[in-house]
This record gives sequence, C-alpha cells and structure tokens, in this order.
Amino acid sequence: MANSNNGPSIYNPFAKLNLRTKTLITIGLSVFILVIVVISSLFINSGDITTNFQAMNKPPSFEHFFGTDWMGRDMFTRTLKGLGLSVQIGAGASILSSLIAIVLSFIGSTNRFLDGVISWLVDLFLSIPHILLIILISISLGGGAFGVTVGVALTHWTSLTRVLRAEIKQIKTSDFVKLSERFGKSKLWIARKHILPLVTTQIIVGTILIFPHAIMHEASVTFLGFGLSPHEPAIGIILSESMKYLATGNWWLALFPGLSLLILVLLFDIAGENIKKILDPTSANE
Amino acid sequence: MDSKYLIGIVAVIIIAVIAGAVLMGGSSTHRADDELVVAAYSHGGEPEAGFDPILGWNYLAEPLIQSTLLKMTPNMEYKNDLATSWKANSNFTQYTVNIRDDVKFTDNTTLDAEDVAFTYNEAAKNGASDLDFTSLKNATAKNSTTVVFDLNRPDSTFVDKFAYLGIVPSDSYNNNTYGSHPVGSGPYKFVQWDKGQQVILEKNNDYYGKQPEFKKLTILFEMNDAAFNSAKKHEVDVAAVPLAYANETVDGYKMNLLDTIDVRGLSLPVVNDTGNKTADGNPIGNNVTGDKAIREALSYGINRTTIAKGALNGFGYPNFDGIAHQLPWANAQVNNISDGNVTQAKKILSDAGWKDTDGDGIVEKNGTKASINVYYSAEASERQAIAVTLAEQAKEFGIEINAIGSNWDEMDSHVNSDPIVWGWGSTDPSTMYNQYYSNLSGHEYSNPASVNNSAVDGHINNAMKMDRNSSYSEWSAVSWDGSTGISPLGDAAWLWVGEIKYGYYVDDSLDISEKTALLQPHGGDIFSNIYDWHRVSSIEK
Repeated sequence: MANSNNGPSIYNPFAKLNLRTKTLITIGLSVFILVIVVISSLFINSGDITTNFQAMNKPPSFEHFFGTDWMGRDMFTRTLKGLGLSVQIGAGASILSSLIAIVLSFIGSTNRFLDGVISWLVDLFLSIPHILLIILISISLGGGAFGVTVGVALTHWTSLTRVLRAEIKQIKTSDFVKLSERFGKSKLWIARKHILPLVTTQIIVGTILIFPHAIMHEASVTFLGFGLSPHEPAIGIILSESMKYLATGNWWLALFPGLSLLILVLLFDIAGENIKKILDPTSANE
Repeated sequence: MDSKYLIGIVAVIIIAVIAGAVLMGGSSTHRADDELVVAAYSHGGEPEAGFDPILGWNYLAEPLIQSTLLKMTPNMEYKNDLATSWKANSNFTQYTVNIRDDVKFTDNTTLDAEDVAFTYNEAAKNGASDLDFTSLKNATAKNSTTVVFDLNRPDSTFVDKFAYLGIVPSDSYNNNTYGSHPVGSGPYKFVQWDKGQQVILEKNNDYYGKQPEFKKLTILFEMNDAAFNSAKKHEVDVAAVPLAYANETVDGYKMNLLDTIDVRGLSLPVVNDTGNKTADGNPIGNNVTGDKAIREALSYGINRTTIAKGALNGFGYPNFDGIAHQLPWANAQVNNISDGNVTQAKKILSDAGWKDTDGDGIVEKNGTKASINVYYSAEASERQAIAVTLAEQAKEFGIEINAIGSNWDEMDSHVNSDPIVWGWGSTDPSTMYNQYYSNLSGHEYSNPASVNNSAVDGHINNAMKMDRNSSYSEWSAVSWDGSTGISPLGDAAWLWVGEIKYGYYVDDSLDISEKTALLQPHGGDIFSNIYDWHRVSSIEK
C-alpha cells in the first residue's frame, strides 16, 4: 500500500498507475479473493468432509494441499469451510454491530441525558474484556454459530459508536445544521438530510474494519472450545485440535489454517484501508 | 491501527506454537531407579474429591492407598486380600466376611471389622453416586474380624463390591478432610497432593501383601497430549495416551496396549416421546429410535469392523451387546451377528414404512424424518470418531445422525431422550442390571434407553439369586435368550459398537508385567499389578 514513492521504475507496470487506480485494483483483488473463499465454502457441505482412516495424518501433497487430520479428513476443505464460517459470522456480527452503533449514536445526539447514558454504556462495555463478554453472551444464548455471532455483535459496536458520536457532535455545530434548525426542520429531517450523508463514509469503513476483529474473536472463542462441537470445521476448533497433534510432528495442521486465517484478516484490513482512501480522499494523503 | 496489533499477535502465537513444537524437549526431571513417575491414572483424571474411596476414588481400580477385601485375578476369579474367607447365604441376601487380624493403617491403628462395616455403611449412605451399593441394607461387625452384610434384595454380584471399595479408618474418618489426607492399609501411603499437578505416594513398609519394588510413586495428572509430551521428554515411566497417539514411536519407550473390557456404544431410547418427564424434568423417549426398525437398521447396517479399524485406530474389537468378548458371560450367538449390511438395513426400513419421499436421501415415516442427534463427550476423541463415523455410515441407508459434541452437564438432560455415546465395562455383571433393568430407568445414568422387557428383568432377577459361576448363563441371556433380549437379535435397545484398548507408553527400563495385568475395566486400572512391576535396567539419562 505504501510503496508509491520508493523509486518508480518504467519497467514496473504497477508503478505507472496512479494512486486511485492502484487503490481500486487492491480493493478489487482483495474483495475478489474474499468472495471466492465465501462462495466456495458455501458449496462445501460439512457432511461431505468425510473421514478416511486409511489416510490419517498425511502431510501436504497434491491430493491434500493442507494435509489430513487424525480422522483422515482433508484439511484444505475443512479450512475453507472454516474460513467461510468465519466470514459469515464476521459479516453478521459487523453489520449488527454497525446498526447498533448507528442507532445509539443518533439517539445520543438527540439530548444531553441520552448522550450521557450512551457514553456510559460504551465505557461499560469497553471496561469488560471482549472475550469474556462474548463467551458469557454466547453461552447464555445456547451456544452454536448464532450465539457466537450475537456475542461478537454485542461487543464490537463500541468504537464505531464513539467515532460516530464525535462526528455527529461536530456536524451539529456547523452553520448549515443551525440554519436548518432556525427554519424549523425536525430533528429527524436534519439527521437524515444533513448528518447521515456526512457519516456514511465512517459507517462503511467502520463496518469493514470491524470484520477482522469479529473474525479474530470468533476464532478465539471457538479455539477456547465454546460455541461449536469439536468435529465441526471452524477455524478456532481446527487450530485448537492441531495443538494436540503438534507433539506428534503434524505441523501442517496448525500452519496452513493459521496462515489462512492471517491472510483472510489481512485482506479485510487492506480492503478496509483502501476503501477509506477512495471514499475519504483527504485520508489518502495521511 | 488496532487490527494490525491483532494480526501481529496471531502471527506471534502461530510462530510460537510451531517453534514450541519443534523445540520440544529440553531438560527433564531425573528420577532414581527405585522411583516411579507415572502420567496415568484411573477414570476421570484427577479425583475432585481427593483420594477417598467413599467419594469415588478408584472405585473400579486399585486404590493404592487403601486396600480391599478381595482382589480380582487375571483369570477373573477373586482371591482374598483383607478377607480370609467369605460366604453368602443360599439366596444371596446375607454375606459373612472374615478378615485378617494383623493389618494396620498407616497411622498405626488396627484395621478391624468395625472399619470395614463403617466404610460400607458410609458408602451406601453418603457415597458418590457412581458407587453401586443400592442393595446394601446394613453392614455390622460381629466381632473384631467378622463382618456381616445384610442386603435388601438378593445380589450375587455383591462379591464384586468387595473388590472395589478401599477400607478407611472409622475412628479418624471425616468426609471433609479425608480426601486430601487419606490414611489406609494399601501398598502405598499418601505423602503429598499438589492439586492440579501430582500426587506423591511412598511405599508402605507395613503392607501385609506383596511389597512393590518401588519406594516412591508419583502420579502426574497429565492427560492426552500433555502425557504424550512428558514421555517424549523422558520425564515419566508410564504415560497413558489416547489411541490416536498409539501408532507414534517415542525413543526409549515401548507401546503397551492392554486388553480391556471397556465397550463403547449408544443407548437408543426404545420408547416414543409422549411428553413424559423424569423426576429431574428431563424428557423421556425419542420418536425416531422408538421405532424398532430404526434401531435394527442401525444395528445391522453399520460396519463395526470398519469402525474398529478406523475410528479406533485398528485397536478396536467389534461388539454387539456391551459384554466384552473375554467375559465368561459373553453371548456367542450375539457375537456371530454379521453387520455392515446396507441392503438389509434398507430393507428393514422400507418394510417398516420408512421411505425417502422428498429425495434428500433420508427416509421418513408419517412425516417424521429419520434424523437423530447423537451426543458425545467432547473430551473423548475416540467417542468423537465413533459418532462422526456412525453419521457417515448411517447416511448410506437413509438415517441422518447429527453428532453433537458436548459435556456431561449438558448431556444429563438428554440421557433419556437422545442417543449418547457411552463407555461401560467391568468384571461386575451388575452393570447390566444398571443398564437394562426396567425399574431403574430415569434415575441418573441407569437404563437410559428405557428398556422394559420382562424377560430381561427375569434373567437379571434369576442371576442375582445364583452363585457366580452358574449365573453366567442368565447374564448372557439378558443379551439374547433365543426369543428376546437387548441385543440386535432382540430389542436392539443399544447400538454397541466396539471394545477399545488402553495404550501406555512405558519406559524401556520398566517391565509392567503385562501378563499379570487385569483386563482393564472402564477407565483403566494400570496399577492393578504394581506389585509385579520391575525395573529391568537403569533409566537412560
């Protein structure tokens, strides 16, 4: 992302592109890979990842790119399915989080008392470790993918709420809002016509940047053994199971799923940062 | 940015985990040749309530710190231990046991008949729920060496209980403190318990039986991969590992696979869910397994040999009725069933009206889909493998099994309504009374499938009134008596799958005397023959 200034060469076709094109290409590529992961994982039925005890604990090969586990299941398909699940949970959680953040920050902007309540709520949620809260919420909802999604959603709205709240406060002091108030426009009208268009960028970028957090937390929770059954393909479960077999030298069980998770999260981060550049050009010069 | 930190943390964790695995090894704790360090123990790992037999410490296994009235021998007969002789009356409602008069507890008090009576009465009244003393009315000390056990029903299996319960001193016993400061008359005496880590025992020089060779015995509470790693680091003499590790080679160790009578199988509730609840409020019955055709199709359709080879890592042994094949009351007819017959399973289903009407590969009948949830304990990898393999196999003949990994707290509420992967096995035939006797259904883990078969009850009642050797035929008839029984030939009330083995990595310098080892019951009994263990050469440093 940051290599635009170190010695452009005429032999390097990438260097000839301007920042906007480069940014668009980066976004396109990362989104493309993410979409492929999600779509291909949707075509994998977890019932089809069958055991094959003739091929247990096989190292990576052309037949099994990521090797096989202790029940002879193909780790490539399991990882892909796990990543797909992560992205789905991440999507659910970040959209829910953003909705909560939008609603709360707009409610907070209506009057001083509600604003206090909401900042207090934000502080409250920030003061409890995320992972504890997620585990508590997902268990009280009966576990499963649903419990984990809601658990992650209910804990990740805080930072976006803070950003939106500050942004809205700033916009409310501007002249055109004051003018509209004098003209007798309702609060709802001002919120819709003046404030919302100005914070859309923040909302979109914020939502995308919640993704990596949500995915990481989903992986951590399933890693700790909460939420899903130990035979189901979730990335955290795969990683925690791999720990048991590292001692017997099965390094591929941890390496490839771990790397895939890392790349997935990185892709979201890259996409988010670049979308921010496009939508908010001033930040491109930071 | 915040997420960069997260990414960094994950990268570091992955690298650390892999580096840790690669660099595994390093310094090891040294032990002398006359000391044992063992990462193996019996059922359930570290005993929560400590080393109190009354609260469940090594109920089915050698209690080490305490001693028992009788001991099991490898040929499955009982020999006297604390007892010098015992007899039962003709209908097995009263037992009289004479005990040795020369036994002292490690606190130097004498073990007499009163201690024995106290221990049994206490166990029957306040004991842990997995101790089966429901038949004991009262134990009384007639004199210092004679104990009389009065039972409330005929129970020819009460002799088995004589081999299970370690005797505690009646004068100093306190159920709050005894577990962490146990006093007994066994081959070892208690020194120190580091909770969550280890227990250290020392040889009891006053022990009346055969003295073990090892002065000090340290039991580490390490499980699964932790035990395996300890063996790799040469820190232990014996490490118990799950079967999934049994094919690995560890330098300086040999793999000892001990035969067990420990069988894995699923309870299939035989009654329909009619809204009935147990006393604890848990649902009873299952509308899918309530149909005998489903249970039969599962029994004949699944391939136990494949499971023994695959899910049980080639160490399994197919089993059809929960009675391990080495036991004297194993049923030859049942053990000759041929399974893995998908065509037969399909035929059983279609004859009973189960048809695939919506083309999803799963059969239906009267709008009920042949879909069942099978719960397994997430801690036990072999149960997970069994559940997953069963799901794959059952799909072939149109039954959907959803495997659900869970814990016992959660499974408690599904015991009477959903199939659960169980492990059972002891040399005490009364386990069959617990599993199948009609009256017991709904009480904790007893008769989870709600079996209600008067012929089965009858055989159990008969067996309870007969002496051990003649009762075998009655116990065997519980499985199949020519017209009915719990096995696939009869009610197909349980889906028994296979016997497992217990795998122990044993240091090359140590001989654990495999030929005098007992058949391992459920949970294992590695210390059953610790008297015969022998250090054949010095430990390699």
